[in-house]
Amino acid sequence: MDKDKLESLLIGYIDGTLTDTDRLIVEQELAQHETSCLVYEQLKTVVQAMHNSPPVEPSGRLKTSFDQVLKEEVERNGKNKTAFFHPTIYRVAASVTLLMIAGGIGFWISRQQQPNAELEAMRKEVQATKMMLMTMLENNQSASQRVQGANVAYTLVKADDEIVQALVSALNEDPNTNVRLAALDALSKFHQDPAVRSALIKSLRVQTDPSVQLVLIQLMVSMKEKSVIRDLEEIVGDEGTLKAVKDEAYKGLLKLT
Amino acid sequence: MTDELIMEAVKNGDLQQASLLFDRYNKRIFNFLARMTMDRDLAEDLTQNVFLRLIKYRNSYRAGARFEPWIYQVARNVFSDHYQQYKNKFNDFIDVEKISDHMPQREEFENVEEQEKILHQSLAKLSHEQRELLVLTRFQHLKYEEVAVMMDTTVANIKVKVHRAIAKLREHYFELEKI
Repeated sequence: MDKDKLESLLIGYIDGTLTDTDRLIVEQELAQHETSCLVYEQLKTVVQAMHNSPPVEPSGRLKTSFDQVLKEEVERNGKNKTAFFHPTIYRVAASVTLLMIAGGIGFWISRQQQPNAELEAMRKEVQATKMMLMTMLENNQSASQRVQGANVAYTLVKADDEIVQALVSALNEDPNTNVRLAALDALSKFHQDPAVRSALIKSLRVQTDPSVQLVLIQLMVSMKEKSVIRDLEEIVGDEGTLKAVKDEAYKGLLKLT
Repeated sequence: MTDELIMEAVKNGDLQQASLLFDRYNKRIFNFLARMTMDRDLAEDLTQNVFLRLIKYRNSYRAGARFEPWIYQVARNVFSDHYQQYKNKFNDFIDVEKISDHMPQREEFENVEEQEKILHQSLAKLSHEQRELLVLTRFQHLKYEEVAVMMDTTVANIKVKVHRAIAKLREHYFELEKI
């Protein structure tokens, strides 16, 4: 029997949706061909695995965020009761007047600023990227937005103080491990900058998240940062630290000393 | 009160009623998006977007239409918009190796069954369309008829595609199991 046809019949057989005739065909096929039996068993395994897969539970954050968004929308909806011009001709007239005024202002501004236009456009683009990045990094409602923010920071050639500060805060204070790791990734790119280097060293002393500790230790070793030797010794001797982190710190000590 | 009547009320400006629809549907929509994205945090954000769109675009809900296919359509659009927005910028939309890190919560990590891990990884290897069909029909238990309406096609076509997707899933699943 054709492979696609057989698989389709077997799935129908597992689902219990076949007609009597098709069911008989499948049972004969299974009785006669061992390979078909194997395909049947495998299909049954995946169908049951999907059926038995437990649902994933959202965190409480989802409900809290939704309530907040709903509250804002309800408030905004209340404010949006605007005054209308009647009849429609007045509304059209008002729109045309506004367009003419805006056009006039735009023309005047473009005449005034033409020589600096290109420079201004570049400056605006950089500023817009920075604004987007900072907004993403500071989005308390969304961990994935903060991760994306840190990823955007990683693509920058140079980071200014404000961005570095936001990344350091994310590294040390964000409740989400993925955000911390993404911030660390971005900061590690700028580790030549003395301010970033110093922030990374300080972070090793305050981090309690094992995943971040591991990556930080590896980074310190790759930076050949000998000033963290005492911190690594403390980690090795700390009973509350995870064994994997202690091992990494010990390996780091061997390489740095 | 039916979902449709509640949505009518939301459409007529009683936005507070949207919280009833959220309570009824948030877990299902979250599960749909979690299985599509393989990322819990992202799925929560996208679920939030679905309900935000429900409020913002409430006027696009047609009176008398069934609510369930409509909200699933909104969820599909949210996922599709996200996918289009990020697939070119970030090349790690689904990293098969990292799926088991993203899917369970940290405290659940130790308890993730091997079979469940292989299932997630096999699903991630399917095409976007095949994964969506399996998530809707096999995890969300929507009927072929409902999915056919949602995707604007025939029931027979959906059935053929679902069967092909299961067959493909079997291949990936047993390839991964060998590793």
